[in-house]
Amino acid sequence: MTRVALLLRKDALILRRSPLLLGLLLAYPLLIALLVGLVAGYANAKPRVALVDEDGLPRFVSIGGHLFDVDRTIRRVSKDVSLVRLGHDEAQRELRSGKVVAVLTVPPGFVATLKGMVSSPTLEVQTARGIISSRVDEQVQALVYGLNRQLQTAYIGSDLGYVRLIQHGGHGSFLGHEFTVLGLDGADLLLRGASGPQARKLRDFIGDAHLALARTGDALRATAHPIQIARVKGRGRTWALSADVQAYALGLTISLLALVLAAGSLAAERDENVVGRLARGLVTLGELVWAKVLLAAVVALALGLGVSLVFGAIIQIGNVTGGEPWGRVPLLAVGLLLAGAALGALGALLGAVARDARTASLVALLVVLPIVFLGLVPQEIVPAAGWISDGLPFIHGVRFFSAALYDASPWWRLLREALWLCGLGALFGLLARIETRRLLA
Amino acid sequence: MNGRPPLLAARAAARRFGSQMALEPTDFELRDGEAVALVGPNGAGKSTLLALLAGALEPSAGRVERRDGARVGWAPQRAAQYARLSPRENLELFARLEAEEQPERSAERLLDEFELPRGVLAGDLSVGNRQRLNLAITLLGEPDALLLDEPTAALDPEQRRRLWARLEADHHAGTALLFVTQHAAEVEAHAGRVVALREGAVAFAGSVSEYDSLALAG
Repeated sequence: MTRVALLLRKDALILRRSPLLLGLLLAYPLLIALLVGLVAGYANAKPRVALVDEDGLPRFVSIGGHLFDVDRTIRRVSKDVSLVRLGHDEAQRELRSGKVVAVLTVPPGFVATLKGMVSSPTLEVQTARGIISSRVDEQVQALVYGLNRQLQTAYIGSDLGYVRLIQHGGHGSFLGHEFTVLGLDGADLLLRGASGPQARKLRDFIGDAHLALARTGDALRATAHPIQIARVKGRGRTWALSADVQAYALGLTISLLALVLAAGSLAAERDENVVGRLARGLVTLGELVWAKVLLAAVVALALGLGVSLVFGAIIQIGNVTGGEPWGRVPLLAVGLLLAGAALGALGALLGAVARDARTASLVALLVVLPIVFLGLVPQEIVPAAGWISDGLPFIHGVRFFSAALYDASPWWRLLREALWLCGLGALFGLLARIETRRLLA
Repeated sequence: MNGRPPLLAARAAARRFGSQMALEPTDFELRDGEAVALVGPNGAGKSTLLALLAGALEPSAGRVERRDGARVGWAPQRAAQYARLSPRENLELFARLEAEEQPERSAERLLDEFELPRGVLAGDLSVGNRQRLNLAITLLGEPDALLLDEPTAALDPEQRRRLWARLEADHHAGTALLFVTQHAAEVEAHAGRVVALREGAVAFAGSVSEYDSLALAG
């Protein structure tokens, strides 16, 4: 057995004898992954939005002959937000304290302008500052879009009423003015007794106008909704089983595990006072670092496969379509080993710098969360976060797992991420080897 | 003295820890079959010189030479072993790393010789037993030279006597000894030569009788 294998076996034995540590190392990253999932799941949650009614909205509003139940209409269009009616001052206070993420104000004269159907009334929106303000904007826009869709139907109905007056004649009103219209039907009746080429031309026009106006309803509806969405029901993965969630859960789990394990176990060699004994010719410092890198890789492989098997079983039992729950496991194993090794090399570097096991474990824990969150920030939003994240193994592991599990043709992406992981692992391993000399002092 | 090069030699070897000079440039040689006592007050640089000669520390300046093929055992002052392994597992691991042909047998022999308990973890041993395990590990690999940093510090008188009996037997069989001690009696009884360090530098190097007379005069 090689010297590295002897050290690896020794570390595995010590790890097995520390059930509390082992349990925490397994449970903690899974717990963090779950919490991150819940936070990410906030994307599906309803933010609380205040509705300030300064116009005194009535229970029912009649627009273009349509009677709207205001509360029911608001409930119908506010599916993505939790709308609560508040007074102006209370709404402002809750916005400042973060209890509501936005305030939607119905200004005085809103309903009168709306019923006039000549100009568009305005709703005022205030949103909280912060990282979710853009999302709140989107949701408020969605709410107003829903209201507009409801009103469009009424507006179209009202417009069609005027078209019918032109077609058939009768009494109507506009902006409070009453009027009577002869209509195309009346004009046709008047022309029946007339003869000559001019009367014929007028009758032809009335016929053409009838045909054209008969299509007005469809044309107006098409103008209001150039594109419609038809929702097709079908099977697909829920958010919790999506490819990204699985890849991030694996990345987060092995990042925590590999960093803490490698950092703690290397620093523990100094705590046990054995570094000098080993370094006097029994084991080189490079072999010592290599043993920690391998320990992290092996444990990452075991835990990562366990997590992916659970995912795979859920997908299989649930008969969820999409993805490759079992066929890609060998590819995933390669990624787990490479990512575990690269993270282990970074952990060994932290352990060598920290020098004692407690500090090393704490440093590793403190370092791992920023590494993970840097990887979660989209590069399009904060480019600097993306560049920093590219210099750390986490995001390359996540990309590898995602490609290995779900890409139809993953090879180019796998190669690129594998090269990244190997390069970063070699770099951090070399730095760890240099820093490990500090453990001798 | 034979014509062979020394087992271990420090050539102007110095060691600095940060801004503190632990050992000034020092020359020292340990030859086959010698028994040398390294003495001096706390902080004189004795443990540093021992660690440099063992190869457990790298010199900041100068160099340390080890004769080709020479095997060196080193017992640091603070026990160097894995607390979560049993004494047997510690001995077997280091026996394998020392490339012993029969690591299990060597471990068993040393467990008996040092009367180390089985079935407990090294971290649960008493201070004295931990030191005995520390010394037992040092004897693995049939070393040509033993570098011992206050080997009897935590041992009771009986264990101290038995340890010296074992070390004397090894010495008679040709093993060189370099030991740090604070006990004049151990210098008298077991050393052929004395090196005294003071403030990181060699203050005296000579025979035991010369050292005794200097001590009596001083």
